Amino acid sequence: MTFGESVAVERPPRTMGERITRMVSKAPIHVALAIVGLIWLLPTIGLLITSFRPTSEILSTGWWEIFAGRLTFTLDNYTEVLGSQGMLNSFINSVIITVPSTILPVGFAALAAYGFAWVDFPFRDTIFLIVVGLLLVPLQMTLIPLVEVFAQMGIFGTFLGLWIAHTAFALPFGIFLLRNFFITLPRDLIEAARIDGASSWNIFRTVVLPLSVPALASFAIFQFLWTWNDLLMALVFAPRPGGLPMTTQVQGLLGTFATEWHLLAAASFLIMTVPLIVFFSLQRYFVQGLLAGSVK
Amino acid sequence: MSTATATPTTSTADVARSRSPKFLSGWSLAALIFIGPAILVLTVFMVYPAIRTIILSFENGLGNYVQLLTADPRFIRFSFPPSGSLWNNILWLLFYTGGCIVIGLIVAVMATRVRYERIVKAIVFLPMAIASTALAVIWRFVYSPDADTGLLNAILGIFSVSPVSWLGNAGFVNTALIIAGIWGSAGFAVVILSAALKGISSEILEAARMDGASEGQIFRRIIVPMLSLPISVIAVTLTINVVKLFDLVYVMTEGGPGNSSNVIAVQMYQQFSARNFDYSATVAVVMLIILIPVMIFNIRRFRSERVVA
Amino acid sequence: MSKYRLVAPFMIVMLVLAACTAGDGGEGSAAPGDGGESAEGDGEISVTSLWGGAEGEAFQAVLDAFEEATGIHAEYETVRDDYAGVLSTRAAGGTPPDVAIMPGIGFMNSFASDGLLISLEDLGIARADIEDRFSPGILDIGTVDDVLYAPMVKLNSKSTVWYHPSSFEELGLSVPESYDDLVALGDGYDGAAWACGCADTWNLTDWFESIYIRQHGVEMYDQLFGGELPFTDQSVKDSVTEMTRILNEDQLVGGVNGALGTAFVDAIGQTFAADNDAWLFYEGGFVGGIATGQVNEELEIGTDIDFFDFPAVGGGGTPITIGGDVIAAFTNDSDVAEFMAYMISPEAGTVWAEQGTIISPIIGVDSGAYPNELASKEAEQVANAEAVRFDGSDLLPAGSPDLGATLQTALNNPEGLDAALEELQVGVEQAFADAEG
Repeated sequence: MTFGESVAVERPPRTMGERITRMVSKAPIHVALAIVGLIWLLPTIGLLITSFRPTSEILSTGWWEIFAGRLTFTLDNYTEVLGSQGMLNSFINSVIITVPSTILPVGFAALAAYGFAWVDFPFRDTIFLIVVGLLLVPLQMTLIPLVEVFAQMGIFGTFLGLWIAHTAFALPFGIFLLRNFFITLPRDLIEAARIDGASSWNIFRTVVLPLSVPALASFAIFQFLWTWNDLLMALVFAPRPGGLPMTTQVQGLLGTFATEWHLLAAASFLIMTVPLIVFFSLQRYFVQGLLAGSVK
Repeated sequence: MSTATATPTTSTADVARSRSPKFLSGWSLAALIFIGPAILVLTVFMVYPAIRTIILSFENGLGNYVQLLTADPRFIRFSFPPSGSLWNNILWLLFYTGGCIVIGLIVAVMATRVRYERIVKAIVFLPMAIASTALAVIWRFVYSPDADTGLLNAILGIFSVSPVSWLGNAGFVNTALIIAGIWGSAGFAVVILSAALKGISSEILEAARMDGASEGQIFRRIIVPMLSLPISVIAVTLTINVVKLFDLVYVMTEGGPGNSSNVIAVQMYQQFSARNFDYSATVAVVMLIILIPVMIFNIRRFRSERVVA
Repeated sequence: MSKYRLVAPFMIVMLVLAACTAGDGGEGSAAPGDGGESAEGDGEISVTSLWGGAEGEAFQAVLDAFEEATGIHAEYETVRDDYAGVLSTRAAGGTPPDVAIMPGIGFMNSFASDGLLISLEDLGIARADIEDRFSPGILDIGTVDDVLYAPMVKLNSKSTVWYHPSSFEELGLSVPESYDDLVALGDGYDGAAWACGCADTWNLTDWFESIYIRQHGVEMYDQLFGGELPFTDQSVKDSVTEMTRILNEDQLVGGVNGALGTAFVDAIGQTFAADNDAWLFYEGGFVGGIATGQVNEELEIGTDIDFFDFPAVGGGGTPITIGGDVIAAFTNDSDVAEFMAYMISPEAGTVWAEQGTIISPIIGVDSGAYPNELASKEAEQVANAEAVRFDGSDLLPAGSPDLGATLQTALNNPEGLDAALEELQVGVEQAFADAEG
């Protein structure tokens, strides 16, 4: 599913008269949509423009003056934020945290989902039910004891701990999503493979996985964005001081520099770059993934 | 996106009865390998901690619960009007969910009438990609009490109205936050409803138009009822978002000024930071309890219905 | 349904397992040492505080001096967000810093009662030996149940009102002797003259405390912040009324809304930047350092910037309030012991004093050590005060609701003040009760 081609809900206009009538009667819609577009673009654009402006000017003139062509621009904010404010480090941390936190859940969930879909074992449905039930457990329900568990394992405040925490929370959703997808695969294909003597593992690897790329991709993208944009888990479990991802870093900036918009704007945009790239280039999977996330 | 019904389960079971070795009463090595890692991780890092949290919340017997529900004005204050984090979550539930659906519906319907539909939907959907933290910064900037930086106050300035402290005013802060929330999530509603709209047969619409029904009537009597399923999907998802709401509120106001914009998840974290671990656990369990009926509803629906094509 | 028959037994097994396992809710799980001999250090310790900017640099200078003197490297970490929460989480997770500046006394209390702090005694420092280095009462602030954990290492007076002496001369104004005079000061200026960093709630608590302690005296102040007097008492409302004689629409630059949206450093900017809108600002002694060091380096002390003592209210006395930071240890090893000993020595106090951002509570620090008149004047004010009390809101136990936030209500919603005070009192009572339990 993408944003879709526009479906003609009405007959296309045939005469010039009809064209004009159509345009006029739709004028309110165009106006309304223009307003909607503005509302949904201006806040972001405002911050973007601000991120390129010198500090002294930000506080004295509004970014909207760009339409009067009176602004000066600079890259200083970005250099400062990346350098002395450590956003480059945070960016790397975000990558370090997010990549394994995406790969691990996809891997574990795919394995488990296949098990629930195509392998028989006792209490299969019951266990699946419990797993799906875990979908409703918010992070808050496990926060304190998880800190303890990690402490006892000696991995509190390490990247490994954070990866494990993210993986654990991604699994119920991933297993649910992928298992429901796997079941829809044609059973003849799987049966045929079994008759040929393939083991479950081989069926998984050579039959199921290749057919599941869209579903896996959707889950992966969703999980990637979820982790990249996460704040709470990082606040609690990220290594300190050097292992904070961008979200936590920006939140901290707000604490000390509440009105240093030049820094905040640049930092925020750095957070947004990767998701926006994903958004623009992988629209199809992106939308599917986020919509699939409607259960999480 | 279709989801499977319960029927295939039986047939996959037939297929799954392979010739691999089995251990105690039907557990094959394959089964263990496939579900083992996930189950292990879930048990150790999710189930076990969750249960410990429940136990922790009862450290003072039922005392914490009684205190939370009856004697904690930061959670809920039964005054008129009520206040407290629970009340704020209710406000979010009504206005954020309602707002997203209404705005989403209107935008989706309008968008189907224009040729640049894809662009409109993309623009409105864009905030869904942004981290809540960044969203909070964007909107704090918009709400800035200084008319030279804050977009809203600048607009007020055009009408010679003096600047308002949107986020510093206890009476308005929740509205301000909910608006930011709707901005962030309406795109979700737009995309789902837009796809659902396209699933409405155009013949029915044509027939209604030929019978002389006005656009408004068509909208109310035909379109909306046929969208009741997608709307319920959106409503459930947004409801879950509301209960878990943390990032946006924490970064924009930390629940302030005072306690006026606080929500349950933030309050839990605040108690956690203040080292009241057992009380914090109580708040967490209450979150869980609120979520249970929502999730049951959600799962039942997924198991038995097709949602959107 | 047969599918559910396993769920119950499964949950029961997990419940039993969870209940039986050791661990007690993140309280004492990280206690690395509970008294006894210090372990051998490894030449490096970690120190955290929430200072950045000029204050952070000043602290770094002290740490550098420590390294020079002892060869032990102190790794300094600023924690910008939610200092209390992060400290708490790290302690629960078993990775607290070796030494931490404490964000408040109530908080320090809760750490101490959970057994996470190492007492000075256990670090080899006997209280009797250091008693005479501090003014009476200072060490009590860092003591819990008669055990000293957290000596104060820096303080600032919170009884300093900042102004432009040159403007006083021009307008024929004089330093106010009473609170009524202070209120009238604003009339001397054209339009509003006061700045307030009211967005930062502690600015408001400082205002309130300075008025309260002068209006009602030291004893009532102690009772109020010790949990014996409720915040719904009339004395509290009287002080709030006094406060709003200055913190109101007419006297505040930007009006109430503007002030509520202004952060602390921005308020200093409003008052002392080159194009200042305001002429009067009340906050602690650290304002001087920030104004001259960060906001406007052109300021001339004595002409462009100076402070006078917060005047008496209603004919009462002038006890002063101070804000300070205490330091406490989580780890017990020889490096930490040396560090703690250093931090309470006159040498460390002098190094820090020379940076000009703080006043040292250590008596052995000569007032000549302070680099400018503002700092030495502040030190004298503290030394000569008729009574000294710690910032009340920092005395409240951890988990108390924010007094400053309630005070914000007094500004933007005066009708709601009574209700807000009630709410505050409930929260404060709970916090005191929790602290006992």
